[in-house]
Amino acid sequence: MDRAMSQKRLAQVFDEVAREVTERASGIRLLESGTKLAGELCTVYTSFQRGYRTGVSLCAERSLFTRLTQRMMQTEEVSPQEVEEFSREYFNALCGRIVSQMYPETKIPARFDRPSFHEGRYSPRGRQKHFSIRYTSDGAGNAELVHHLQDMEAADTLPE
Amino acid sequence: MGKRLMIVDDSCAIELQIRQLLEGTEFDVVGYCPDGETAIERYAKLKPDLVTMDIIMPGIDGLEAAQAILEEHPNARIVMISSLAYDGTIHEAEAIGAKGFLAKPFSEEDLIDTLRSALKD
Repeated sequence: MDRAMSQKRLAQVFDEVAREVTERASGIRLLESGTKLAGELCTVYTSFQRGYRTGVSLCAERSLFTRLTQRMMQTEEVSPQEVEEFSREYFNALCGRIVSQMYPETKIPARFDRPSFHEGRYSPRGRQKHFSIRYTSDGAGNAELVHHLQDMEAADTLPE
Repeated sequence: MGKRLMIVDDSCAIELQIRQLLEGTEFDVVGYCPDGETAIERYAKLKPDLVTMDIIMPGIDGLEAAQAILEEHPNARIVMISSLAYDGTIHEAEAIGAKGFLAKPFSEEDLIDTLRSALKD
């Protein structure tokens, strides 16, 4: 992914897709922000396959994932299990849209693993941060979208 | 009489969302399958009017499952619902005989329009 597109263009795609998918799925508007995440955090993560050796995570304040779930379920009463399930589905849509947006430029029909949900800030092993974009929302909480590359040391041992 | 719908998706969030969005419409959800293998088996028993099928699932993927159902039941009406909405997957879905393709995330209007369109002709 990083080799097929410039970091600038990739970040632009990530940003556009994150805003569009979040608003479409939940009506929540994300705004780019320098605000650091605080309080109780959760992370959704997936790694790409078929042509890419990268990963994407979204770390956010639990309040944002809860609000997303409430909007997607159209109810205020949501369980922690539902927050996990709906956050993974939201992130699944986000990553699918990223791959779909990149396809016309890369012609790589990538797939990705089913997203995992983690309590706290999750850093995948063997990966390093390539770039990140921080967001705030309409009072629902803050988030950080991160593109992860394989560690150079690990990459040297793996086939392209 | 309502149109009988079977949902195939490994995410119960999507199952719940589709059920909610179709409440009060002409579509009745008569079955839910979390994977492609179960869908192939249950299709023969339920004989739904319409199937919504995810693509990325554990085991065989939704395109393979749809193809297997269509080989056995050529009149099956299957709508693929996936976030992987690029030319490759859309063309593959068309090639195996899917009646529609809906990109995630979707609205109530998108869903109902796609399902109605899949039942035409």
